Amino acid sequence: MSYRLQRLPVAKPSVAFAARIASVVLALLTAGLVLKLVGMEPLALAGRVLKSTFGSSFGLEDLALLFTPLLYCGLAVAVALRIGAWNIGAEGQFNLGAFAAAGIALFVPGPDWAQLPAMAVTGALAGAAWILVPTLARAYAGVSELITTLLLNFVALLLVYWVSTGPWLDPSGHALATTARLPVSVPEFWGIVHWGLPVAVILAVGLAAVFAFTRWGYEVRIGGSNPGAARYAGMPVRRHLIAVMLLSGAIAGLGGMMEVAGTVGRLQGGISNNYGYLGIMVAVLARAAPLGTIATAFLMATILNGGIILQTQGLTTHTVLALTGLILLYAAIGDEAAKYRIVKLAKGA
Amino acid sequence: MAEPSIQSRLGLAPGTPPLVSLRGVGKVFPGVIANADVDLDVFPGEIHALLGENGAGKSTLMNILTGIYQPDEGEIIVGGRAVSFASPVDAIAAGIGMVHQHFKLVRAFTVAENIHLGWSETPRRISRAALEARTAELSSRLGLAVNPAARVAELSTGEQQRVEILRVLARKARVLILDEPTAVLTPAEARELFAALRAFVAEGNAVIFISHKLDEVLEIAHRVTILRQGRKVATDWTEACTEKSLAQQMVGREIVLSDMRGTDIGRIGAPVLALEGVSLMSEGVTLLKNVSLELRAGEILGIAGVAGNGQRELTQVMTGLAVPTTGRVWLEGADVTRAGARRIAAQGVGHIPEDRLHAGMAPALSITDNAVLREYAKPPLSLGPLFRPWRATRLAREIAAAAEVMVPSFEMPARNLSGGNQQRLVARREMRIASKVLVAAYPSRGLDVGAINTMMRYFTELRDAGVAVVLVSEELEELLTLADRIAVMFHGEIMGVVPAEGADIEAIGLMMGGRHAA
Ligand SMILES: Nc1ncnc2c1ncn2[C@@H]1O[C@H](COP(=O)(O)OP(=O)(O)OP(=O)(O)O)[C@@H](O)[C@H]1O
Ligand SMILES: [Mg+2]
Repeated sequence: MSYRLQRLPVAKPSVAFAARIASVVLALLTAGLVLKLVGMEPLALAGRVLKSTFGSSFGLEDLALLFTPLLYCGLAVAVALRIGAWNIGAEGQFNLGAFAAAGIALFVPGPDWAQLPAMAVTGALAGAAWILVPTLARAYAGVSELITTLLLNFVALLLVYWVSTGPWLDPSGHALATTARLPVSVPEFWGIVHWGLPVAVILAVGLAAVFAFTRWGYEVRIGGSNPGAARYAGMPVRRHLIAVMLLSGAIAGLGGMMEVAGTVGRLQGGISNNYGYLGIMVAVLARAAPLGTIATAFLMATILNGGIILQTQGLTTHTVLALTGLILLYAAIGDEAAKYRIVKLAKGA
Repeated sequence: MAEPSIQSRLGLAPGTPPLVSLRGVGKVFPGVIANADVDLDVFPGEIHALLGENGAGKSTLMNILTGIYQPDEGEIIVGGRAVSFASPVDAIAAGIGMVHQHFKLVRAFTVAENIHLGWSETPRRISRAALEARTAELSSRLGLAVNPAARVAELSTGEQQRVEILRVLARKARVLILDEPTAVLTPAEARELFAALRAFVAEGNAVIFISHKLDEVLEIAHRVTILRQGRKVATDWTEACTEKSLAQQMVGREIVLSDMRGTDIGRIGAPVLALEGVSLMSEGVTLLKNVSLELRAGEILGIAGVAGNGQRELTQVMTGLAVPTTGRVWLEGADVTRAGARRIAAQGVGHIPEDRLHAGMAPALSITDNAVLREYAKPPLSLGPLFRPWRATRLAREIAAAAEVMVPSFEMPARNLSGGNQQRLVARREMRIASKVLVAAYPSRGLDVGAINTMMRYFTELRDAGVAVVLVSEELEELLTLADRIAVMFHGEIMGVVPAEGADIEAIGLMMGGRHAA
C-alpha cells in the first residue's frame, strides 16, 4: 500500500477554502513553536497582538492605515493580471505618485479644494508615466514587463531618497531626511484614518463592476485569457493591454499620493515600505479579483500589524519578518495544495 | 457449436488473459455522468476501436485508464491484478500510454527533448548530441521517422503526432491509446499511421483507437466498443458491422443521411466576396501566391488540398485576420482589404477556424463568455458600453441548445466540454452571424457522424438562404457531395477551380500534387 499525490484539473472551491483556513492555522502553530523555542510565551503574545489590534480603536486605526496602501497596490497588480501582465513595479509607481503629489503640494500654491484633486490626478498620472515605457516595450516589442517594471522600482526609490534629503529637504532644519510637512492633507473621517481608505474600497468595487458589467471588461477578460481568440474577434488587444497597464500604474500612483498626503504628511525615502511588493502577494492570493483583494489586503495588513506589535514586545525585526514570510508561504502552499488530492495505490504501481 | 473464443479469433493461445480490463468503471462530473458501469477487455494483438457520439465519454474513459482521472466506481485490471494509477507516469510504467485529442508536447522544445522529458530512463546528465542520438536510435528501431533536432513548434500536425506516439512507445507501452488520431492527418499520413499500428499489434501489443470515422474503424479495428451517454452499448467484431449498424448503435436510432445536393439551379446569385490577386508573404516565405477567387451568394465553394498549403492563410485573408501583402479583398463591392476582423464579422462573415482551441475560444473562460464572443458588443447583450452577463447567459443557452450540446453549468470553463462539443458550439456561434459569408475550415473535425450530417444540412440551408459558404476540407468526398465548385490549393496557389458536378477525381488529385488545371 502506498500513497501518491494527484493533481486535479480544477480545485474544488470547498477544498480551496479549507486549505486556506488550514494554512493560516498551521502557520500560526509553527510561529508559536518558533516563539516557544526562543523562549517567548506564544499564547500570551498572541493575546496581546489580538488585543492591541482589535481591542482598541487605536489598534484598528493603525490597521486601517496599513490596509489602505496595501489595497491600492494589490488592486494595481490585480488589474494588470487581468490582461496577463505582471506589474512588479507597483513599488516604484507608488513612490512616483507620492513624489509628484508632494511636488504639487509644496510648490504649486492654490486653494485647498483645488489642490487635493490636483494632487490625486498628478499622483495617478505619475504612476501611469512610470509604467509607460515597460508598457510600450511589451506592447510593441514583446519585452517582458517583469524585468522592466522591477528595475524601475530602484530608480524611483533612489529618486525619492535624493529629493527628500537634497533639493526638497525641509528648510526649517528640524528634519534630516524628509521634506517639510505638506500644507494640505487628505481629511480624516475616523481618528487618524483618512479618506484614502474609503476611496480605495470604492475603487475596488468599481473595478469589479467594470470587469463584470462593461464591454471593455469582457474584452480585457478574453484578451488576458487568450490573445489569439481576442484578435480573432477583432478586439484591439494591444490597445487594451496599454490601457490596462497604465491604469495599473495610475492606481499605484494614487496609492502613493494618499500615503504622502494622508498617512505620512511628508515625502521621505522608503515611503513605499514594500507595499508594492506585498501588493503582488495580495493580488495573487485574491486570484486577481478586485473584491477578493479587499479581503487579502486586510489579511496582509493584520499580519504586518501583528509584526509591528511583536516588535514592541522585544522580538527582533528579523524574527518578525521571518514570521510574516512564514504565514505567506503557508498561504501559498495551501492554495497550491488545494489542487491536489492524495490517492491510495493498491500496489506499488 | 459454441462460438469461437475471442482468443482463438485473434489467433492467441486459449486462456490468454487480456492486457488490460476495465470492470464496471463509472465517473461523474458535476451535472454529468461521463461514464457508468463500463466493461472493456483489450487482448494482445488487437486493435480495439472506441466509438460514440460527442460527449459519450470516450476521452474520459481513456483518461481514467491512464491515471489522469480516478474512477468513482469500478476497477482497472492489468496482468490479473487490480491497479490504481495516480498519474499518467504510473500508467505508462504499467505499459499503458496515450496520445491525446489535443497534443501535450512542449512546443518550444526539440523532438529529442520532448521524447526524454519526464522519463525515468533519461540519463541525469546528457549532452544535446547524445540526446538526439538516442532519439534517432529509438526512431529507427520503432519505425517512426522523426527529426530529433527539430523544434516541435515547426512540425506539421502529422509529425507532432509521430513524436507523441514515439514518446509513448519508447517507454515500452504495450497498450497504445489514440484519441481521434486521424482527425488532423492527411490521408497519406493516416495510411502511414495504420501501417505502424498494425506492425505494433503484430508483436503482441494492443491499440485502443477512438475515431468518428466509421470507414476507418471498419478498416483497421478487430473489435469495436460503442458508448452511448457514458454506458457501454455493445462490443462487436468489426466483420459483423457496417457503417450503418455502427451509426445506429451510437445514436440509438436510425440516422437518415440527408440529401445535400442543391435543388434549384438558378439559386446562385451575385458575387459577395472576391479576392483579387492576393499574395501573402511572411518573413520571406510566400504563403499565398496571386490568389483570385470570386464567391457568389448561394454557392458553396470547396477548397481542396493537402493541409498546410495555404488554406489557413486564405481563410485569414477572407476574414480580415491577415492583411495581404499585395492584392485586394472585396465584400459586396466594398474594399475590405484592411478593414480588420471586427468590421468584416460585423458585416455578416462568420469564421469557423481551423484551430478552435487557440484561435476561436478562450478555453479557460466560461462557456458563456465563449459562446457570446461574436455578439457581446451588440444589443441586447450590450447597451452602449455596458455588458449584461445575464443576457449573455441567455444567449449562451440558446446557442448550446441549437448546437445540441448538453451543458451542466454555463460557468464551467469551456475546456471541460468534450472536443466535439467545443466544435459544435463554435460552429453554431459562427453560423448565427454568417448572414453573407461563412468561412469554415475543417468544420467536421472531431464531430460524430450525426453531428457532421446536421452541420452539413445547416450549410446547405445557409446556402439556400443566399449565404456564400467557403468549405475548407481534406475529405474530397465531403466536398464532392456538398460543394458547387472546388478550388484546389497547392503551395499557396490556386491550381484550378472545377465544378463539383461530374468532377474528375484524378484531375483534382493531380492538382493537389501541384499540377495546374488543364
Ligand atoms: N473536467 C471535466 N469537468 C466537467 N465535465 C467534464 C470534464 N471532462 C469531461 N466532462 C464532460 O463529460 C462528458 C464526456 O466527455 P468526453 O470528453 O469523455 O466525451 P467524448 O466521448 O470524448 O466526446 P468527443 O467525441 O466530443 O471528444 C461531456 O459531457 C463533458 O462535458
Ligand atoms: Mg473526446
